Amino acid sequence: MVRTSVFLFAWMSLIAVAHGEATITKINVFPSDVELSTSRDRQPLVVMATRSDGVTIDVTAQATLTPTNAAVVRFDGPMIYPVADGEAAIQVEYAGHSAQVPLVVKQATVDRPVSFKLDVMPIFMRTGCNTGSCHGAARGKDGFRLSLFGYDPDGDHFRITHELSCRRINLALPAESLLMEKTIGAVPHSGGKRFAPESEYYQTMLRWLEAGAPNDPSAVPEVLSVELYPRQFVLEGEGATQQMIARAKYADGTDRDVTNLAVFLTNNDNSAAISADGLVTAANRGEAFVMARFATHTVGSQALVLPKDLQYTPPTETPVNYVDELVNAKLHKLRLEPSELCSDDVFLRRVTIDITGVLPTEQEFQEFTADTDPAKRAKLVDRLLERKEFSEIWAMKWAELLMVKSNNDVSYKSMFLYSNWLTDRISSNMPLNLMVQELLGANGGTFTNPPTNYYQIERDTLKTAENVAQVFMGMRTQCAQCHNHPFDRWTMDDYYSFAAFFSQIGRKGGEDYRETIVFNSGSGEVGHPVGGRAMPPKFLGGDTPDVTGKDRRVVLAEWLASPKNPFFATSVANRVWEHFFGVGIVEPIDDIRVSNPASNPELFQALGDRFTQYNYDFKQLVRDICNSHAYQRSSRRNESNASDELNFAHARIRRIKAENLLDSISEVTETKDKFQGLPVGARAVQIADGGVSTYFLTTFGRATRTTCAVSEVKTDPTLSQSLHLLNGDTVETKVRDGGVVKRMLEAGKSPAEVIELIYIRAFCRKPTAEEGEKLLQIVAAAEDPQRGLEDVFWAVLNSREFLFNH
Amino acid sequence: MKSSATSRRGFLTVGAVAGAGLTLADLFKVRQARADQKNYAPIEAKAQSLIHIFLPGGIAHQDSFDPKPFAPLEYRGELGVVPTKIPGMQFSDTLPRTADIADRITVIRSMTHGEAAHERGTHNMFTGYKPSPALVFPSMGSVVSHEYGPRNNLPPYVCIPNQPNEFAGTGYLSSSFAPFSLGADPAAGGFQVRDLNLPGGVDDNRFGRRKTALEAVNDYFKKMEESDKLDAMDTFYERAYSLISSQAAREAFNIDAEPAELRDAYGRNEAGQRMLMARRLVAAGVRLVSLTYGGWDMHNGIAQGMRGSMPAFDQAFAMLITDLERQGLLDTTLVMVSSEFGRTPKINGTAGRDHWPKVFSVVLAGGGIKRGSIFGSSNAVASEPEDEPIEPQDLATTVYHQLGIVADKELMAPGDRPIEIVDGGQVRKGLLA
Repeated sequence: MVRTSVFLFAWMSLIAVAHGEATITKINVFPSDVELSTSRDRQPLVVMATRSDGVTIDVTAQATLTPTNAAVVRFDGPMIYPVADGEAAIQVEYAGHSAQVPLVVKQATVDRPVSFKLDVMPIFMRTGCNTGSCHGAARGKDGFRLSLFGYDPDGDHFRITHELSCRRINLALPAESLLMEKTIGAVPHSGGKRFAPESEYYQTMLRWLEAGAPNDPSAVPEVLSVELYPRQFVLEGEGATQQMIARAKYADGTDRDVTNLAVFLTNNDNSAAISADGLVTAANRGEAFVMARFATHTVGSQALVLPKDLQYTPPTETPVNYVDELVNAKLHKLRLEPSELCSDDVFLRRVTIDITGVLPTEQEFQEFTADTDPAKRAKLVDRLLERKEFSEIWAMKWAELLMVKSNNDVSYKSMFLYSNWLTDRISSNMPLNLMVQELLGANGGTFTNPPTNYYQIERDTLKTAENVAQVFMGMRTQCAQCHNHPFDRWTMDDYYSFAAFFSQIGRKGGEDYRETIVFNSGSGEVGHPVGGRAMPPKFLGGDTPDVTGKDRRVVLAEWLASPKNPFFATSVANRVWEHFFGVGIVEPIDDIRVSNPASNPELFQALGDRFTQYNYDFKQLVRDICNSHAYQRSSRRNESNASDELNFAHARIRRIKAENLLDSISEVTETKDKFQGLPVGARAVQIADGGVSTYFLTTFGRATRTTCAVSEVKTDPTLSQSLHLLNGDTVETKVRDGGVVKRMLEAGKSPAEVIELIYIRAFCRKPTAEEGEKLLQIVAAAEDPQRGLEDVFWAVLNSREFLFNH
Repeated sequence: MKSSATSRRGFLTVGAVAGAGLTLADLFKVRQARADQKNYAPIEAKAQSLIHIFLPGGIAHQDSFDPKPFAPLEYRGELGVVPTKIPGMQFSDTLPRTADIADRITVIRSMTHGEAAHERGTHNMFTGYKPSPALVFPSMGSVVSHEYGPRNNLPPYVCIPNQPNEFAGTGYLSSSFAPFSLGADPAAGGFQVRDLNLPGGVDDNRFGRRKTALEAVNDYFKKMEESDKLDAMDTFYERAYSLISSQAAREAFNIDAEPAELRDAYGRNEAGQRMLMARRLVAAGVRLVSLTYGGWDMHNGIAQGMRGSMPAFDQAFAMLITDLERQGLLDTTLVMVSSEFGRTPKINGTAGRDHWPKVFSVVLAGGGIKRGSIFGSSNAVASEPEDEPIEPQDLATTVYHQLGIVADKELMAPGDRPIEIVDGGQVRKGLLA
């Protein structure tokens, strides 16, 4: 509740601001401490002022920077150079605000020898030499190959120094090395001129060649982290700028300014472009994530761009819970006004489809709309959560992720037992961490302990590791199989160390020829493709655990599905969120990476935290989501949020998933389906085997369960879908054979009443007067009322309003 | 063009990585991204359409288009050879009729890739790419669909009878570019394309009434909602209407309209009727028809297998080329016969041959391809390419080129990643007329 009051305070202060003049409320100086070691070190500062309306201004040039001891450093603009050893502070003054940055200078007169890995390798990355389209390509470019994004520095050193001897590098006349002449464009180079002879890059490479092109003696200090400043800023008006600075921290405790060595990127040029030197320039209104990549690290900062003199009235509604607080806070930052809440009938249809996958019945519609209890929406959510259809939906979702499907290696019986195991765990609301631990650590027969089928459906070690990362951590590590991930933190070391958890899976035949016994074989390693060394198992983004004498998968499972793994709860919560909003906070939900940040990082984290606090009971999470105003907004957009797609300012319409759509058609037409292996009347969500489908389900995008990617489920329209709904046997036959219209007429209903009942069943609303009139005319023109009404029913089932959840 | 595009890739595509945090900028972003993609001015399309005949399982090149009659028995196998209309060139004796029209086709005998697993080889041949762990590539048909859209109210990409494998799908492109499958085999009695005709009991009049009702029902929602997704669905409903209501378009699927003699000439079997259907569809305006015939994974008893499966193919294929020529369609229709790989040079212990991707054969005809030509060659035992090895990316690039598509153009994959239609392929001029 602390958060609520803080939020409300911010809200109130903003209302005040909207009517007053913005003043500078504070200044920040980055980085917050400076350490200079050796005469080659240096550090720039950035001073950022924040206005009372939240807009930030880069005031580095206007601020005064004064060292408390002028003997230790000198300034060149905002750049600090070492002069003599000592400690001091830098006093920063701007517009009546001041700040101090502590400063340490060491070895001020000692030169640092040039290092291949620390100084030369970063130049290849910064200036684009080792990208996939240049020398980083698998076969190199024009006869010269560098490892992609520098994953293999020793190999690069070898190729530079040992290939094309005396030409690629010429130690007698270093400046005449091809390496040097190509980069400055002195000789023809497909990649053109990369930098000028007077540039620091050229000088560094020349120094290295003059030193004899040495490789580094064994290990150099690893880059532990990269910092990018400022972390968050708000630019106002086109053309506003903000200089970024990047600093790397090394394992030996030193740090270094890498603003001139990092690669700067933005994910939205249209709002905030970033120059090669890290200067961000605002353009159109919007949000961007600007990034710096150095060594294997990518870090990002959030940039918001607002137009000048924006008219904006903050909404006054009270947030229901933390979801609303965080969604509203983001909307407020962007000055977006949310849509109003949806009507009761829209809510009833939306939430019933989302939670149970079926449509509300006529009775539910009548009761809910007549109910005057102000808490009726929350009560409805509680009721829906107790229905078995809720667990069926999630059992199906998990079955898609676990690729439950019979095939050559997985007998129908194994698949069936596996599916039952999953359905049982979901319907008994087993905490998700326990379910995942049981799954990943599973040993035994595929009949006697069905979760072992996880290792039977996918038998490849690397693929298994990739799937585990993608399903339970929302991360795609595939790139790092062949090179360090270009836009994420994962290195090849990370990839193969994670795969090592799955290198000791033993398999043998069971008594029944259809059964396989999965066991811990206790031996088997994963080798790194560069050098072939056996990789010790290491958690993705975590520690290297002691696995001696233990089942590696059990060790992994205990870490993976626990609060120790920061990605489990957040990624699962993001999946749940996506189900209800049609878009994840990180989107796509199984591609969480540094360069694909959350649209609302605080919300992303809060949902993960709550999920952990709830002891991984996702029902509770669903309750929070469905009760929030964010979920209950209308899908109608207003002027302010018309083009917003990612901040939940309005509801998104979503085509109903294949299985739910078929079940809904059967429900409103009162017909039954027959699926292979299931009794007549079973519903499509209950189909256990991914190999079983029908024309309707396949055409409307049922997951084939051949991969664990979320994109397996398709909802894009196709010609076959339209033709099938228009002419195919599903709608046509069900409308006729269900006999709904016939029975209604026999019960004495008038055509107008029949239309109303059809509308309530399918749309969860009554027809408007205009609709009723138009449709009655159509019915009147038909040969007989039944046919006419069946045509209306057919039209309803073909309509957008029926096919979409809105 | 190429070199400026290359340097742009190194620096700009990295900047185009995205996925997050946009508010008012979506439209602009898409434009921006488009500006960043490699794009090319249209080139002349020699071929207006493509018929892709895929022989799944991996057809033995030595027992079809690339026989080695002078190799030792364990290499050449049991089948004999027939002379062809190309002087000095022979086919396996299971292809007598094709040998007779060989002066109108080009046989590539130096196709090569390294993938000996069915699904990986199939992926290569349908997409022009090696499979990637990080991305699913679109098939040629979906790319053509994406680039050109429908013609004469007909779907641009049709599969006979069904989408043959997962790689014939849309890959990273939207499923809107998926193939339209007939859903039934034209060789079967009572053949009807699925959902193409109004259901029994619904005449045009009643369908008109239904459409009016549907418009009335949709009206309310249209006023309430705006979304690209609704527009996309509307587009497909419009396409469906025009297909249903256009007699000419529906007639394209009506194989019964072909003279009985012609149907006999193609052969009243899967190969014959599928190829005839394909010809009917391209004549009506379909841009790419993909069909499969048979199962060629002959690990056992290959001579017998080939004698069983080839005649129907031979008859149908020769007839297809003849028929296309007779109708004046051969110059504008590219026909490609391919398979995921070839088979082992040596006969194995069960009298069959196993998977062999190092060299195999592909046949091209029409659509601006040379007539009566053999492109490249394999060595004496058909185990390696000898001259002019050609890989899937070159084949795909050449086929796209004939269809008027520059394969180096980039399409947008998820995460705003621009990806070339085919990466690094060359147009092999030696194949072109």
